[in-house]
Amino acid sequence: MTEPTQADGAHPRPGDTTADASPGRTELSRRSFLVGAGGVAAAGHALGSGQDAVGSGGASATETLSGTVDLELRVNGQAKKVAVEPRTTLLSALRDRLEPALTGTKIVCDMGSCGACTVLVDGKPTYSCLTLAAQCRGKEITTVEGFGSPEELSDVQDAFCEKDGMMCGFCTPGFVVATHAALDRKPDATLDEIKYELSGNLCRCGTYPHVFEAARAAQARRSGGEGK
Amino acid sequence: MQPFDLQVPRSLEDALALLPKERSYDGAQLIAGGQDILTVMKNDIAAPTALVELDGLVPGEIEDDGTGGLVLGATATIQEIADSGLVRERFPSLAEAAKSIASPQIRSRATVGGNLHQRPRCPYFRHSGVSCFKKGGNVCLAEFGFNKYAAILGGGPSYFSHPSDMATALIGVGASVEIAGADGATRTVALDEYYVLPDEALDRETVLGANEAVTRIVVPAPAAGVRTTYLKFKERESYDFALAAASVSVVLDGGKVASAKVVLGGVATKPWPSPEAEAALVGQEMGPDAWRAAGEAAVADAVPLDMNGYKLHLVKGVLFRALESLV
Amino acid sequence: MANSNNGAADPTWGPRKDLDVLNRDDLRRIDGPDKTTGRAVYTHDVRLPGMVWAKLVRYPRARGTVKNVDVEAARGLPGVVHAAAVREAGETIAFSGSDSVVALVAGETPEAAEDAARAVVVEVEALAPVVTADQARADGAPVVRQRRRRPPKDNFSGLRENGEPDEVLEAVAGAAAQVDVTVEIPTQHHVCLETHGHVVQPGEDGEPPVLYASTQLVSVLGQQVDDAHGKPRVLTPHMGGGFGSKFSFGLEGKLAYELAHELGRPVHLMLSRSDEFTMGGNRSGSWQRLRLGADAEGTLTALHLEAEKHGGMGGGAHAGAPYHYEVENVASSIQSLHTATDANRAMRAPGHPQASFGMETAVDGIAYQLGMDPLELRKKNLTSPTHHRQLDRVAQEIGWNDHPNRVAPGKADGGVHVGIGFGVAGWGPGSRKCQVDVTVEPDGGVVSATATQDLGTGARTYVAAIVAEELGLGIDQVTARIGDNELPPSVPSGGSVTTGSSAPAVKHAAHLAREALEAKLEPVLEAPVGSYTWKGGRVSVTSDPERSLAWREVCALLASPLRVTGETQKSLYHGRIHGAQAAKVEVDTLTGRVRVLKMVAMQDQGLPLNRMALRSQINGGMIQALSYALLEQRVFDAQDGYLLSDSLDTYRIAGSREMPELVAIIDDDDERDAVSGMAEAPIIPGQSAIANAIYNACGARLTRMPFTPDNVLEAIHGKV
Repeated sequence: MTEPTQADGAHPRPGDTTADASPGRTELSRRSFLVGAGGVAAAGHALGSGQDAVGSGGASATETLSGTVDLELRVNGQAKKVAVEPRTTLLSALRDRLEPALTGTKIVCDMGSCGACTVLVDGKPTYSCLTLAAQCRGKEITTVEGFGSPEELSDVQDAFCEKDGMMCGFCTPGFVVATHAALDRKPDATLDEIKYELSGNLCRCGTYPHVFEAARAAQARRSGGEGK
Repeated sequence: MQPFDLQVPRSLEDALALLPKERSYDGAQLIAGGQDILTVMKNDIAAPTALVELDGLVPGEIEDDGTGGLVLGATATIQEIADSGLVRERFPSLAEAAKSIASPQIRSRATVGGNLHQRPRCPYFRHSGVSCFKKGGNVCLAEFGFNKYAAILGGGPSYFSHPSDMATALIGVGASVEIAGADGATRTVALDEYYVLPDEALDRETVLGANEAVTRIVVPAPAAGVRTTYLKFKERESYDFALAAASVSVVLDGGKVASAKVVLGGVATKPWPSPEAEAALVGQEMGPDAWRAAGEAAVADAVPLDMNGYKLHLVKGVLFRALESLV
Repeated sequence: MANSNNGAADPTWGPRKDLDVLNRDDLRRIDGPDKTTGRAVYTHDVRLPGMVWAKLVRYPRARGTVKNVDVEAARGLPGVVHAAAVREAGETIAFSGSDSVVALVAGETPEAAEDAARAVVVEVEALAPVVTADQARADGAPVVRQRRRRPPKDNFSGLRENGEPDEVLEAVAGAAAQVDVTVEIPTQHHVCLETHGHVVQPGEDGEPPVLYASTQLVSVLGQQVDDAHGKPRVLTPHMGGGFGSKFSFGLEGKLAYELAHELGRPVHLMLSRSDEFTMGGNRSGSWQRLRLGADAEGTLTALHLEAEKHGGMGGGAHAGAPYHYEVENVASSIQSLHTATDANRAMRAPGHPQASFGMETAVDGIAYQLGMDPLELRKKNLTSPTHHRQLDRVAQEIGWNDHPNRVAPGKADGGVHVGIGFGVAGWGPGSRKCQVDVTVEPDGGVVSATATQDLGTGARTYVAAIVAEELGLGIDQVTARIGDNELPPSVPSGGSVTTGSSAPAVKHAAHLAREALEAKLEPVLEAPVGSYTWKGGRVSVTSDPERSLAWREVCALLASPLRVTGETQKSLYHGRIHGAQAAKVEVDTLTGRVRVLKMVAMQDQGLPLNRMALRSQINGGMIQALSYALLEQRVFDAQDGYLLSDSLDTYRIAGSREMPELVAIIDDDDERDAVSGMAEAPIIPGQSAIANAIYNACGARLTRMPFTPDNVLEAIHGKV
């Protein structure tokens, strides 16, 4: 329902976030610190409060990761030390925290909707934007860089080049990783199954048909024993 | 996301002890696959000061219960459910529901327990700038605003449509959840009594306490001769929540429907069992007339909003097509 | 330069059968290995020592008056290096878009920047949103676009009227067949996967600032930048999609640039996905009423078009009427209707998909009303033989000739039905002057360099391929350098001009290099310039192939690097392409679900430089049109002005399972010895063909996009 003739002016509505900025509004008990532009003041949580594990209750065996913590992640077969916060996503750890950064894994939606950040965690396709780096302790992480290099492409990477499975290329690393995962999972996937296995990756330029062709070509090479 | 501590307890009991007794915006919460809670936090719907890792503390196996039913560990992933031979053989509708969920990347991490506890997908709820009933505010902007995806059943004062495919499918096969609470207490709740309407509670979608966790899902043996399917209509087939979905089971006697179970998804504020649709089927010839009657009965009490009247047709369509597939 | 020799000739692309590198089906992109292994560095990926992460803070609604922007709390947070208001109390936020930005923050980590953004306290007194067309049209609606001189009275602007409306309406009323149809098209977003933004290395110690920019205009972006710190270097080695939205330095660029110089540190400021949807541009929506008349034989006689362009704070776009079809008597009235939302920007064929949808809907309606084959009716009213040839071919490919519903549609009887529809396109790709340097080193190395950007079209690849072709080399023997404003100037990539501008200049440069090398060969192989054949890494005298040298031997004749500069040559490009598409759909008339089964596009283009990349580009046009048709819709909350479709969950684009069988046909009957770009044409008619296919399947006329079940069911049953 729209009210197009509504006069200019404040439009206070209970629960309206803009109005919440005015002092004295208390309807939102649960979110009483809610302010302005979707902003929420740091909710009484100590930012950057120290390093490493602290027991939560002294006697408890619970380990607590708080503030900035040094993690060891296994990335592309190598142990990497990286300083992250518990909230740091695997995506951000790879792109923004690792030295040198691994920026092949792309950030696009940052909300688990597009697949540009796909990596393998213990062999399974994973949105690194919806995974905490700290959840990957002790797990094997494979990024697009881990499959091959420009000098030595993986079979899937080579097939993407052969079939023009890319345009701008921003979705490509995610598709390459997802295609590896799909072919490992279903070596004899039909075209429909390939589409299903790649349905968590979005492309805007419209490379899908060539990506499918690339997946089919890599599949054919594997079954013909030509894969690298 | 706002800063938080990641707690890594050694036992489920320790984990639950770290949770608050009451829900709050910043109270500690559990994380398993994290595929919903992290989006909730990124959207600033909640900002827990701690996340408590469930990894390894709750079972994730898919097990034969010895009587023809199954026990699903709550941390079994959606992909494991979709791939499980046991599930596909005994409860194809559960495998179909699992297959229809999100994307390979989500399915490989998301757990069945997590799927049952997804927060609403209403775009107002998910918008970090918007306050609403479900976030402690006192308005539902969807009621008179953009409500194309909203509920036509069970609405008021909030009108989100419940997003869980597994809940709809599991209710369709008569499942229950086992819940662990503080101090080692456990209880079992039938899933069709597990979800609450917005007029019963706004800060949650289930009867689960803030410091409880679902550990197992118990699926009883299917009735002899039952045919079951889960059909989901999405706006975007690749990856989407349901515009309308249905878990439909029938037992046929000759050409007639001896018994029926109908649960609707994507059209109500909770997974929506439809005894009305079941009544319209039972005793009737298994054919288009009965399927149409079931659809009419299913939406008889529906109250569409300005933009979601099409869901009346969609519910009828999803039931018709689901029943048709069972012939 | 060496082209003063007697044997010198103007360059031509030459007979297609003689080409070894160009016009091939298997030419790989030269940046494929970098892109597929994650080594290609995009702006978003640039990491510089001491770099800070910046973030914008936005007011989440449409219009309001700023009361206060308090950054104190943000400044006190750990890791925060900057927090400042960019809007002051009393200022008006006029629209949802760049005007919504109220503060800029930066941190040592992305998390610190996020904390700072969250801690900024923004108080804004909301004003009525005016985000929908209904709100903007209403009597007494707040006027969203202010002008100092002659302030507008309402939200309409730019009325353009053509023809004699009364006469035309009378002609329509008297026509044997008449269609009166109103179509509505929502606003579409570009959805560049790489958001807009920059990484700015500040200028210092006499070194100019460096802008890593995700931009479509590497050569001239610097002109939009205040050069107080020196003329900036602009680098765009790779960019993650533009589609017309990346022609401006933008507020995000300006703020990053100023902050980098204020801090004396590199600044990384890429829009968030929500920012991108809010302020990254859009294709304008449209409302159109078309009244079209035809005689009993199906000749279109009169067209009246009323159209509104919904470009938010921008003017919007509509390509005019009639769209490609010949109509004797036309009157149109087109104007902009403004809402308090982000201005539209160029997006692949601005205004054309909108015009196509209206016109093709009306034309299709006439055909069925007369009981005529819609394909034949189209041909009857299209004059270009190219359109005829292409329509016939796509009809054949999609199976029209064996389709049962050729003169009457199927029925919405609750069943699942298949339909076929058509649409046509056209574009004038044009060309502007640019330059290319080709350098040949004595050791055999070749570099082809121009400032241009590769949006994903394959520009980088032809910058090398054309030189390789001319010099008889493999493409891997030529290095392409692009994406740097210190290289010879190129054009902004808009309107499909890049190929028509850059490729002829590359060709010219390569040709000059060849002639210069032939001049060096004259004393050695004793033949004049213009009498050599370059092939397979060797040069030989055309009349006596025994007299030949290997490439390295030729280069060894050079005492120093040979560098030539080529310029765009008119004879090497052309400016007119057509296009026809057909779509086959399946409609479940019980549920309103539409599945596209197959799409076919045929495009003329002159010489295809790279057939595989060309097919990618044509596929991309069809796919974006399919996505537009089936899914895409920007949604504002009309009550409070929130942009609800600000994520890839809420703004849906097509994924892998939406893909039909796609057939991109290169029109090889187009023998023009000239090149053109292919960005716009193939995106134009897809949604029209799909809508017409839905009608053909079941008789439901889809006049409102997207063709989601709500709209399809409404077309079948009326509003519930």
